[in-house]
Amino acid sequence: MKAKIYASLAVVITGAVLLYAVTDFPNFGDPHSPANAGVKGGAPSASIYYIENTYRDTKVPNLVTAVLADYRGYDTMFETVVILTAGMAIFAILRVLRRDEDTEEAAPVDRSIDGDHHRIIVGITCRIAVPLIQIFALYVVAHGHHSPGGGFQGGVMLGASFILIALSGSLSDALARLGESSFIRLACIGIFIYAGFGFLPLLVDRNFLDYGALAGLLMTDGEEMARSHSMLGVEIGVAMTVMAVMFAIFANLSTRGRLQGGL
Amino acid sequence: MVFTIIAALLILAGLVFFFGAAVGLLRFPDFYARMHAAGKGDTLSSLLVIAGFAVYQIGGVHDLSHDWPLLLVVLKLLAIVVFIYLTSPTSTSALADAGWEDGIDPIIEPGRENHLEDDLRPPQP
Repeated sequence: MKAKIYASLAVVITGAVLLYAVTDFPNFGDPHSPANAGVKGGAPSASIYYIENTYRDTKVPNLVTAVLADYRGYDTMFETVVILTAGMAIFAILRVLRRDEDTEEAAPVDRSIDGDHHRIIVGITCRIAVPLIQIFALYVVAHGHHSPGGGFQGGVMLGASFILIALSGSLSDALARLGESSFIRLACIGIFIYAGFGFLPLLVDRNFLDYGALAGLLMTDGEEMARSHSMLGVEIGVAMTVMAVMFAIFANLSTRGRLQGGL
Repeated sequence: MVFTIIAALLILAGLVFFFGAAVGLLRFPDFYARMHAAGKGDTLSSLLVIAGFAVYQIGGVHDLSHDWPLLLVVLKLLAIVVFIYLTSPTSTSALADAGWEDGIDPIIEPGRENHLEDDLRPPQP
């Protein structure tokens, strides 16, 4: 009961603060608000700069990816950290590391789908679909700066493919392919890849996440191509983190943190 | 022009099956009959409509050296057709299976209950 009162208080106070912040918003249709900047009679705008100069600066045709991964890369890096934090919170709340005798080795899962008419249709279809999903996910990651897509979308598709393995077969099938130590490591390595691309320019006295400084390291023609390639690099990091955290959340939620049995 | 007419016919046929699926989903008496309408009607109508799109795109190809991007669109549409053909019946099967294991009884004509042997159904807890 007390917990409920404290929780309600926290919700009410947070809501009141958010409502108070609403008064700082610009009026609806205000030509001088940042969202409307750049239109006729409006304020000068960053979006106009992105639209006119992104291709010249970065050689990336997809403006959205360029803004996300380069111009506002700092923001995106911590978005990825938020995802990692969500995974760590799930781990901290749900994961049961204590070995209970009754749940230990509850039932050895039969991995064979032969002769099981309840599972054979779904199992075979998923065996066909999962590799295609994963290849398409890799395409979405690798092509993120030329077409719609990117690290978050590709990572979600990769994570969903492992969830599909777990749903069609058993969770132990999926864990045999992406075990617990693997997905925790992958989630952290993804962040390290992103942050590494941020830190490398610091070594040559440039700003954090200023990918242009990597032109020599990546052996590109100019700073523009270095920015393009670095965007691919950070997208790969984002995809690794998102994939690992997606699957970690599913595995922990579906088994109440025991990573055994499950759906 | 021929391609446009074929495409229109395919899309119209798809819409007819979509209509049948929707009516069946609303009007059929029990879970399995509704699954039947939704699964079969939806799969076939999606296939017909997307095949119609593909035929329409082929109709736009006049000069192969210049119009090859349209053929790429056709290939993508055909890939969607293949994936729907594979996955839609599978999900219908999985859903019907889940309903059966959950103990939902189909409505059966009197005198024909013997078709449902009890060994098909896993023991109820």
